[in-house]
Amino acid sequence: MTPAWTIISAFAGALLVLLLPARAAGASRFIALAASLVGAVAAAAACLARLDHPTGPVWSYNRPWVPSLGINFHLAADGLSLTLLLLTGLVAVAGVLFSWNVERRPRAFFAFFLTIIGGVYGVFLSRDAFLLFVCYEIVILPKYMLIAIWGSTNKEYGAMKLTMYSIGSSALILIGLVVAYAAAGATSFDLAHLAGAHYPLALQMWAFPILFLGFAVLAGMWPFHTWAPTGHVAAPTAASMLLAGVVMKLGAYGALCVALPLFPQGFVAWQPVIAGLAVIGVVYGALTALQQKDLKFVIGYSSVSHMGFVLLGIAAATHWGLRGAVLQMISHGIVAGLLFGIAGRVVYERTHTRDLTALQGFDLWRTLPGAAVAFTLATAASMGLPGFSGFVAEISVAIGLWQRFPWLVPAIAAGIVITGAFSLRALHKAFFPVRHPSAAAPPALPPLTWPEISAISLLLAVSLAIGIYPKPWVVLIDDGLRSPLFHTILSLK
Amino acid sequence: MNYSDLLKQLLPEAVLVITALALLGAAVAVEAKRGTPVSNGLVIAIAAAGIVLAALALCFVPVEATSGKDLVVIDPLARMFKAVVLGLGLLAVLLPPARREIANPGEFYALMLFSLTGLLLTTGTNHLLFLFVALELASLSLYLLAGFSRSARAAEAALKYFLFGGVSAAFLLFGLSLIYGFAHTATLGGVAAALAAGPPPLLAMTGLVMVVAGLGFKLAAAPFHYWAPDVYQGAPATSVALIAAASKAVGMVVLVRFLLIGFHAAAGSGAWGGMVPGWSMWLAILSAVSMIFGNVLALAQTSVRRLLAYSAVANTGYLLVAMSANGKAAAGAALFYVIVYGLATLGALAVSAAVERDRGNDSPAAFAGLVQRSPWQAVALLVFLTSLAGIPPLAGFVGKFALFSTAMAETAHSGTSGLTWLVGLAAIMSAISLYYYLSVLKQAFVRDAVDGESKVGFAMSPAHALAVGVPAVALVVLGLFPAILLEPITRALVGSL
Repeated sequence: MTPAWTIISAFAGALLVLLLPARAAGASRFIALAASLVGAVAAAAACLARLDHPTGPVWSYNRPWVPSLGINFHLAADGLSLTLLLLTGLVAVAGVLFSWNVERRPRAFFAFFLTIIGGVYGVFLSRDAFLLFVCYEIVILPKYMLIAIWGSTNKEYGAMKLTMYSIGSSALILIGLVVAYAAAGATSFDLAHLAGAHYPLALQMWAFPILFLGFAVLAGMWPFHTWAPTGHVAAPTAASMLLAGVVMKLGAYGALCVALPLFPQGFVAWQPVIAGLAVIGVVYGALTALQQKDLKFVIGYSSVSHMGFVLLGIAAATHWGLRGAVLQMISHGIVAGLLFGIAGRVVYERTHTRDLTALQGFDLWRTLPGAAVAFTLATAASMGLPGFSGFVAEISVAIGLWQRFPWLVPAIAAGIVITGAFSLRALHKAFFPVRHPSAAAPPALPPLTWPEISAISLLLAVSLAIGIYPKPWVVLIDDGLRSPLFHTILSLK
Repeated sequence: MNYSDLLKQLLPEAVLVITALALLGAAVAVEAKRGTPVSNGLVIAIAAAGIVLAALALCFVPVEATSGKDLVVIDPLARMFKAVVLGLGLLAVLLPPARREIANPGEFYALMLFSLTGLLLTTGTNHLLFLFVALELASLSLYLLAGFSRSARAAEAALKYFLFGGVSAAFLLFGLSLIYGFAHTATLGGVAAALAAGPPPLLAMTGLVMVVAGLGFKLAAAPFHYWAPDVYQGAPATSVALIAAASKAVGMVVLVRFLLIGFHAAAGSGAWGGMVPGWSMWLAILSAVSMIFGNVLALAQTSVRRLLAYSAVANTGYLLVAMSANGKAAAGAALFYVIVYGLATLGALAVSAAVERDRGNDSPAAFAGLVQRSPWQAVALLVFLTSLAGIPPLAGFVGKFALFSTAMAETAHSGTSGLTWLVGLAAIMSAISLYYYLSVLKQAFVRDAVDGESKVGFAMSPAHALAVGVPAVALVVLGLFPAILLEPITRALVGSL
């Protein structure tokens, strides 16, 4: 089973769901679950195979696509891509499970859902700049539709804002890629070819920030992060999970695997700026989350803060930093998916409110103890407590940062403390309120359903697994970082 | 060259003219016998059959080298675009006019065929005078087609189109005469030879400016675009489909021939900081103005057809980005994109015509709940508009990507930043355009219809369904496998220039 099955299963699933007759619309969730399971299993199998032979040749598939422009249909899967594929597969399975109760136009919902998944797989596997950009843009329209049709709070505004940020940042990426293509001799869009070319320093100085910014907007870099909380809150649960869990990772992945390798000297010049913006993102996101009244906004701003760690790792650009950045991408993907799933699906669908004050009236830890336990564990993972994936990732980023920008480490320490504060505040207010003895008894809530329990257990288990035994993930990521793409970056002094 | 050779080369055009005459005769005969005008269905069938026959005839036209025969040129480029024009023309013919919109369908479709004849002739000539005559044959028919429905709006559209068109034709003719005065020959090859002798004199450059302005009108480039919104809104959808798709493709072919064969030596440069006067620079400026004008004004439209008109202006801007790069690869990308653009606009017009007939107007609100009323049309509209916005995996995305990357590639080696400024502007403008396309799609997919008829579907004739379905399928196929069209175009250009 090759890694290509991830892409094939997602797009084939989307097509199958669309072709279902109207009376069989209910079957669409089973098809979506099957398609995302196939993708996750394919990714997991490829990861295990790679762990057996971590230094062997990587799987790749390369065919001419548009010869006159030098475009190839080039996929390849090194360890770094494989870990991100597995993350996508896991979030996809959990997303389908958390969307099990979607009744309104389920065929269209799951078709858009699977199209996003397919596009994300495609980005992580592409080794051709054109193909990568195609997959990157495929995601835009389904994102809009998912939020605008099935969303909640201010959905049309949130959807349009997110879409315009996405397409605007894509325009920057397009400019950056086309400039690199022309300057590299206009013969090929292959990433290895583009990264191997020598660009004049003057060109790198202006082309790098354009390309990097294009990707960083999608990764939620401050001050271009405002689409993220608005969009995440407006989105339906599965879309929030995908947006925070994997789509933001597309931006980080592009910054790491396209922008840095293409213009390394431009990166060196802008490195302190990126690091500064990332630190501001970490602290600002956490401080803003501390003041939110809506549970989803808390998680939305925490995403901005956590993605700041990813950008910090990238900005440090040491081996520890890049490894930490990828680990944080995976950790945040799992944890954000879990938090959004519990807040948006488990809690909101039962209480119909996400307001922290209103939630106190439900006394959730008594009426919905399963959700309270799960959210507590997820919060612990999000705070980066040892034993969870967040700890491994943040400590790696901190080490990487210490090697390059030691004076920034206190700032992220502050960020971690504030993260603890807002996480505990939200957890306390939403799930463990102080109740007056005279208050009315809280309404009884339906217990957790099997799709919810399985999705929560899946994501929690993975976060714990990474936290307790991170070695296989680190081996795979290090395999990816050995790629020639990163030679120049990692040899920087 | 003798007459039998000429007939062999112009067989498709001859088939079209004979069909048009037969159509007129049949219309008169039916009306004399029954006392009522002939039905739309019959004339559409005859006209479509004529176009298919012409396409078959095109297969028997021999390919010849361009040497010595500038009047009628059957080079690979001409053959390819004759086929394209016939295909886009067929789709326009299949988009039927609304009930009772057109009093005399026989004459209407005969004019469509005459116009197509003119467009076919225009694609295959390197001769200045013949170019003008063929272009005017097409244009005069188009003026009539624009005003055929006898509504006040159509009359206004046709009058504007005719007045602007007349002025542009005068510019074109005057420019051509100046060029003739400079080169003492009416062939593009002769002009190129005369230009090779030394720096271009003022006479030739003045002529060139006028020709570019005249062609800018045909292509709806700002600031020569003022006819477009009224024509797109007021004229029958069938006529607009012809004007938007086939006529624009031919305009691009003429521009490619004129600039790359005749005036290659007078290109100048549109590079930032290194501008050299010449058509490359003028086109770069026209392109920037068109993209800004078209996209900004499209944001404010409340009629989908007017929105498509401003999108036409903006898209001409994208096309001119590649043209101003002055290279064969970029020209190939522009010719690819103009076909893709034509398909998408034609399809969007076909859907909006169907909605207009159902709802009585073409405001975005009329599209509300389209996905429930007619799911396939809604999906087709999604394909057309997202292709225009340049979202993968549709052909419009590949087209724009090819336009921008070839434009950069052709100009980057000159040591300056080349056309980066123009390509950057184009990429950002193209991102903005998603906003207005999405505002139509929002109605179709997100909103429910305002009245109680939200679930009532509406039927369309088989011909109309073809005019919607064929472009949609073509855009998906070309988006996934762009090489099947882009490579032949590139080869044809190399074989023809």
